[in-house]
Amino acid sequence: MTVTQQGRTPARRASARRSTAASLAPYLFVLPAVFFVAVFLLAPMLYTFWQSFTDADGLRTPNLVGLRNYAELLTSSNFTLSLRNTLIWVVASVVLPVGLAFALALALERVVGGNFFRTALYLPSTLAAAAAGVLFSFIFDPTSGVLNAALGALGFSSLSQTEWLFRSPLNTWSMIATYTWQSVGANLMIFLIGLQSLPREPLEAAKIDGASGLKFPRLITLPLMTPYVTIAALMAAVNGFKVFDLIWVMTQGGPARSSETLAVTMYREGFILFHQGVSAAIAVVISLIALAFSYFYLRNVMDKESHV
Amino acid sequence: MTTASGGFTPPNAGKSARARKERTRMVAGGVLGGIICVFWLLPLLLVFMNAFKDKREYNMGESWQLPQGFHLWENLQNAWGQGLGSGFFNSLSYGLVGSAGAILLASLAAFGIVRLKLPRGLWWFLLIYSGTIFPFQVYLIPLFKAYTSFGLYDTWVGMVLFYIAICIPFCTFVMRGFFISMPWDFQEAARLDGCNDWMIFWKIMLPLTRAPMLVLLLFQFTWIWNDLLFGLVLSKSDNVRPIMPTLAGMQGLYAGSDGPTLIAAVMIASLPTLLLFLLLRPYFMQGLRLSSVGD
Repeated sequence: MTVTQQGRTPARRASARRSTAASLAPYLFVLPAVFFVAVFLLAPMLYTFWQSFTDADGLRTPNLVGLRNYAELLTSSNFTLSLRNTLIWVVASVVLPVGLAFALALALERVVGGNFFRTALYLPSTLAAAAAGVLFSFIFDPTSGVLNAALGALGFSSLSQTEWLFRSPLNTWSMIATYTWQSVGANLMIFLIGLQSLPREPLEAAKIDGASGLKFPRLITLPLMTPYVTIAALMAAVNGFKVFDLIWVMTQGGPARSSETLAVTMYREGFILFHQGVSAAIAVVISLIALAFSYFYLRNVMDKESHV
Repeated sequence: MTTASGGFTPPNAGKSARARKERTRMVAGGVLGGIICVFWLLPLLLVFMNAFKDKREYNMGESWQLPQGFHLWENLQNAWGQGLGSGFFNSLSYGLVGSAGAILLASLAAFGIVRLKLPRGLWWFLLIYSGTIFPFQVYLIPLFKAYTSFGLYDTWVGMVLFYIAICIPFCTFVMRGFFISMPWDFQEAARLDGCNDWMIFWKIMLPLTRAPMLVLLLFQFTWIWNDLLFGLVLSKSDNVRPIMPTLAGMQGLYAGSDGPTLIAAVMIASLPTLLLFLLLRPYFMQGLRLSSVGD
């Protein structure tokens, strides 16, 4: 360092200083955002990762216990049940909202009043998941709920006493129904965006060749829509995987922890039972799975971006 | 139908038959859509109409019966008084300050990365963007611990700082995309006129980014307004707690809010985001496009 600096003339040194200032400027613009993300998001994440190898309970100084928390997860029936529920959530929230939205998008494209229907179906998506959860708790109420009243009125008197949110696995399915009600709208919008951006020529050609009825969506639209279906499905999988608010408001994961998903189990272990080590281990497991989903999702989205 | 195709065949019969078929499809689809929409909105209507009943009518009658009186106003007042009022204003301030702060910091970062050609810009972008990849559970315990030991737990500042941080990654993603698509010539012209980096950002770029910023404001405000998890973990007192944890608390088995009051509370908690959507629908659609398809 010193050797090279000695060889420089004063003028060259001044210009070097100016260009260091110029090359520092972009960092100053990026710094605040990086600071916030590093302090509030990345540092906690690393801490959680470390904590998952300790016996932290929020009181004593934590000791490293290696993989004990992870081993405990594998043997605990709470965790395996929670994992099973999470899988049900992921699969169901890909199949139901995305599938239904796709069917609706095909059915409602270019129909009378299409704009109004779109708005109406999207309306539930503007509610908070917590608000939707409270709403449907009223509907699923065994004695005063509308659902059981309707079933009774339609002659299904044996079903009209159903405890939708108090029996497993029915409670998980009831909540998935609520989730579907809420998230169809957003998926519908993705597909309508997709349908609008389809190239016109293959569609017209197929129409002239006489493709009609169900053949049309199956042979023509579906292949062209594949990128949008992939993105919607991956996003639905990630979101279904992370559902917390709805479950917390409707059942708190109960009764007897029967409707917990990993997100809820993590919260309960960490903030109600104070098993912070185990809780951190669950958070790490969730992160790894979410990371895998996100990788595929980002690859799909980034593929569309030609810049950088 | 039969009469039209019965007699003779006009030269463009095939075409008009197809057009007629298309029209039938559009109308049939419209009817089907109408039925689906009624079915979809029925849960909302059936529950919300119970906010018009008083406690007695709600408990004695059936929930699907139309309300006899008009007690909406007192139910709303009850809900407002049970902590929802303070939650409302808390979330309003978090939503506005949190999203505005995040958008400003994210715009600065995106400007630095794209327009000032930060070395290894993609790497820095991914560092910021990584904040959207991990599920929220991974932040909870350390945040809670750090907040309690630094005196940020259950404070307005603590909540706002976190909301700013959690909104930055997505805002950076959107602003970066916007800055990439902007032409370069007027930036170079401004530089020749003697503008420094800061002036280029503040005087030239910001006025041009109003549209994506409004979309982001809408989306991030809605996100913060609807947040339950971080409100549960980082706050407890009425004058800090956001609206959703307050609502969830009212619903608890031992909270003792009666049915009509709780339903009125849901209405209050849902109204702002519902109105924002209905009033600014085109911007919402644009935001949805950005957050899902990524262009």
